Amino acid sequence: MNLFGLMETSGGAMQAERMRAEVVAANMANAETTRTASGGPYRRQEIVFAANQGDPGFLDSISAASGGGLSGSLAQAALPTLSLPGAPTAAPGVHVAQVVEDSSPPLKRYDPGHPDAGPDGYVSYPDINPLTEMVDLMGATRAYGLNGSAVQAEKGMITAALEIAKP
Amino acid sequence: MGIEIETRLSEQIARYLDLAASEAKLTAANMANIDTPGYRAVGMDFEAEMQGALNGVDQGQAARQVQVRAVQGLVARPDGNNVSMDREGLNLAEAQLKFKTGVALLREEYQRVMDAIHADK
Repeated sequence: MNLFGLMETSGGAMQAERMRAEVVAANMANAETTRTASGGPYRRQEIVFAANQGDPGFLDSISAASGGGLSGSLAQAALPTLSLPGAPTAAPGVHVAQVVEDSSPPLKRYDPGHPDAGPDGYVSYPDINPLTEMVDLMGATRAYGLNGSAVQAEKGMITAALEIAKP
Repeated sequence: MGIEIETRLSEQIARYLDLAASEAKLTAANMANIDTPGYRAVGMDFEAEMQGALNGVDQGQAARQVQVRAVQGLVARPDGNNVSMDREGLNLAEAQLKFKTGVALLREEYQRVMDAIHADK
């Protein structure tokens, strides 16, 4: 039994939750962005988590116990630029499977003087609700703290294990 | 009369520590997936595993794989995830205390062996 694998699980989760907070921050920062590299207004990003495939024996029993619904399509859709390095095969934790773009239509605001206004005088703004983002941020913060305290507990266990050898 | 470094008790405590670490591992996995859609919390039957481990020590068998099972009776959120923050927090604290108890017992047991080694001094 490897206690350090435990910290990897919790550490990976903290990394994933921090990425979620970063995505929320990017959404809030771009709430009024009407111009992007791909054209059109900024689109709200959302993060999708997927459970990791840990060491085979342990994970088999986990996915058998939880109905096998973990290793589905989400895990395969990892974005190469955003997935955590080596995460899907590491500890039985979590990884960022995907960052998806919200496909809802942009908000239209009448502002004919705006340089990005269409011929009808309406400007497309991203459909970002500060409330949704704040709630998401709160969830990320809480989950980050939860996994942080798990790391604390695991540290305590490892320190305790070191005590065995002390005279 | 022989006193061995690896006593039956120390072997049993070692299995106990392994199980406590397994429990912490499952809890950490649940905590990590607190926001994963469709994830179901997993757990283990500590008492049954410990009983099996005690039998295993008596019969000289190696430690076996922990039976992981889905936790029943939890309320699932609309996204299909049923991990409860409080339950996992409590479980982790419990696993940590179990582990520390095992460490204290093991220290005691090794101290006993040490005392026997140094009995002539």
